[in-house]
Amino acid sequence: MNCKTARVLMSAAVDGEISFKEEKGFLSHLLECKECCDEFDDAKKTKMIIKERIIQFKAPQTLIDSIMQLTDFNTRETEETLLYE
Amino acid sequence: MDKPAPTHQTKTPTKPEALSREERKKQLEFQKEAVVHLHSLYNYALHITMNPDDAEDLVQETYLKAYRFFNSFERGTNCKAWLFKILKNNYINRFRKNSKEPGKVDYDLIKDFYHSIKDTRRDSSEADTDYFHSLLHEEVYQALHSLPEEFREVIQLCDIEGFTYEEIANMVDSPIGTVRSRLYRGRKLLRVQLEEYARKYGFNTGKDQ
Repeated sequence: MNCKTARVLMSAAVDGEISFKEEKGFLSHLLECKECCDEFDDAKKTKMIIKERIIQFKAPQTLIDSIMQLTDFNTRETEETLLYE
Repeated sequence: MDKPAPTHQTKTPTKPEALSREERKKQLEFQKEAVVHLHSLYNYALHITMNPDDAEDLVQETYLKAYRFFNSFERGTNCKAWLFKILKNNYINRFRKNSKEPGKVDYDLIKDFYHSIKDTRRDSSEADTDYFHSLLHEEVYQALHSLPEEFREVIQLCDIEGFTYEEIANMVDSPIGTVRSRLYRGRKLLRVQLEEYARKYGFNTGKDQ
């Protein structure tokens, strides 16, 4: 495998979206190419940073309530009575 | 979806006060499949609109539409991906029409936005000496927003929301190969931005000459 092909596969390798066969070729290229190897490490790291550093916000209670109203049962039935009716 | 679903053709109930059995089943399923993704949808909406009110409206609208068309949701597929696609379409129709020119990053807006919601943040407290861990949430956020939308979008969907390439390809209406290369290029651009920040604080990124 050459660098060009390795770079096409780079993100897929980071995200586990690569086939077994592709991965074999990709990893053996990394063993002999420091540049691609560094780039692979960088890409993995960048993904980690995004995952760790971007704050995930929770929906406010008012929104939760109004969405729940959408699917609120008009009856007093529970899930069980519906399933075993 | 190829098989007709006769159960959905049942007549509306004659008694107005009671919901039909079908409707109750639908509600129950909707709660289990769709409502559980509420926090993810809100989070994504907030990140693309950068305005809590707009984000709420967008999510509200998305769930209304999703509930109305819930019968067309392909059972067994990822409901979160289905909801995100609806949300994205709503966003394009509603917000993007009268937004600022594309490609322009409003850093003040990002800063304000981040400061206004910072107190609710969930902090990770790892003690890593790595220079990237010195980066503030705000800086990573700013770097992400400095990317052209097509790159930022796939990174958010992949790295924050955890969608598969196939799901992302469907959401952005592009082939998987495009998703792959956008992720590759997007991460590279992001890396350059993050290194800028790190350098600003005197950390050696190993890329200095």
